[in-house]
Amino acid sequence: MTRLSQFLARNWAVLLLLALWQGWVSLADLNSIVLPAPWPVLRDVLSHPALYLANAAQTLATATAGVAIGLGFGALVAVAAWASRLLAGMLTPLGLIFSSVPVVALIPILARLLGYDISTVVAIVAVSAFFPTFVFVGAGLKDLPRGADDLFSVLGASRAARLRHLVLPAAVPNLMIALRITVPEGVLAAILAEFLMGRSGLGFMFREAASRFAMERALGTSLVVTVAAVLCFSLAHRAERVIRTRWS
Amino acid sequence: MPQAIPDAIRLDGVSKSFRLDDGKTVTALEGIDLGLREGEFVAVLGPSGCGKSTVLRLIAGLETASTGAVRIEGRAPSELAAAHRLGVAFQDHALLPWLSVAQNIALPYRVAGSKVDHARVDALIELVGLTGFRDARPSQLSGGMRQRASIARALVLDPDVLLLDEPFGALDAVTRRHMNVELQRIWGTRTLTTLLVTHSVDEAIFLADRIIVMTGRPGRILREVTVPFPRPRDPSVLRTPEFHALVDELTLALDPEEAAL
Ligand SMILES: Nc1ncnc2c1ncn2[C@@H]1O[C@H](COP(=O)(O)OP(=O)(O)O)[C@@H](O)[C@H]1O
Ligand SMILES: [Mg+2]
Repeated sequence: MTRLSQFLARNWAVLLLLALWQGWVSLADLNSIVLPAPWPVLRDVLSHPALYLANAAQTLATATAGVAIGLGFGALVAVAAWASRLLAGMLTPLGLIFSSVPVVALIPILARLLGYDISTVVAIVAVSAFFPTFVFVGAGLKDLPRGADDLFSVLGASRAARLRHLVLPAAVPNLMIALRITVPEGVLAAILAEFLMGRSGLGFMFREAASRFAMERALGTSLVVTVAAVLCFSLAHRAERVIRTRWS
Repeated sequence: MPQAIPDAIRLDGVSKSFRLDDGKTVTALEGIDLGLREGEFVAVLGPSGCGKSTVLRLIAGLETASTGAVRIEGRAPSELAAAHRLGVAFQDHALLPWLSVAQNIALPYRVAGSKVDHARVDALIELVGLTGFRDARPSQLSGGMRQRASIARALVLDPDVLLLDEPFGALDAVTRRHMNVELQRIWGTRTLTTLLVTHSVDEAIFLADRIIVMTGRPGRILREVTVPFPRPRDPSVLRTPEFHALVDELTLALDPEEAAL
């Protein structure tokens, strides 16, 4: 009983949405090409697990690769800007401008530059992760604990020792913020890019199904996308929280 | 007293002024002449804001004198830091929040690029009474425990010059007394030129060879007192009439208004 009420308390919004969806389809007597009912959609997912899993895995792999590359380069360039005042002067304004440009705007440009294939999708995700990482890690490298700068001076720390033992660890919480922001964004960027130009993955699967009016398949894909995005977000959020408590 | 050996630390005609954001300048120190012989323990007493921390930061090479010169073994203070021979315990502990107590205390080894002597780290943890907290992080410690960890860190590389800025300020009276006794013991085992900034007259007399009393606005040296008690000093010194007479004398020097009453 308490289990059930707990489940209801947590998921009432989702259940309400499903009920409204079912109610609307039944009351308006909609054709399944316009909007299928929830159960057939769920049935399509459950009866083709391999297909959905393979495409979801493909999309997540693309997103992971892209986010990893974007985070890595973003952090690297932030460190370069920390080390060189000249680079900082050039890169910081660029980073601030580009981190506020939506990914959608970059897709056609990157596709034109790199060609229409999977590596372009990875590149799009990487670019969407790069700029927020650069901005956040750059700020983290300067956000040192009180007195730490003086401490490293009296310890006779070289610039390399300062970077390794003070500046880089100090930036870890901000790297985790960048991760929390870029992971869900990366998943969405991957799906969007697959939708627009892919040959596989959830985004492509949705477009392919929708183009032949297989609405159960299309909505099933949306369902899987939503679940995957929520999972990624809550994982990244939890990781950030763990690190933040460890660091304060 | 004639000096055969030159002072290890010298401040000659040092003044220090700070430029504030609104363009005004404050003179924190003026006309400071101070020498510490090698292995000498000097305590600095004075009301807050009189420039005690500034004296310590000048010796640590964290500030540069506006006029005059600060020299350690005849050279710039930064050279002592670069040789990893300087130990400093700051007023606000400055522990790194992401490291455990043991890792914080081992940090000077890592920064110096030398191998961590874990046995020494553990011995210092025990010395400052933090056994059982070696894997705790600073946020899990009380203010007094953080200060003790930062004292252990200042001592870990076995420095030649030790600077302590009100290191026992957050400790309760019993722990403070205990730390004083331990510090005296460490200090007796080796040559360690030490400057201790403190608010406590008792602590200054118990630990120091010489006491400098400062006044503020601008910070100057008011007087110097040589502590007559022989070493090693037993805590029972604290109960002698000579000790109490010296406490009274210094307390009056610190608060001249009371002297007028
Ligand atoms: N970085 C600074 N900028 C401006 N004023 C400062 C700075 N450091 C110290 N002062 C001023 O110098 C005076 C002495 O400070 P300090 O040495 O910290 O005193 P104490 O340690 O004896 O309390 C104070 O008036 C303080 O406001
Ligand atoms: Mg002070």
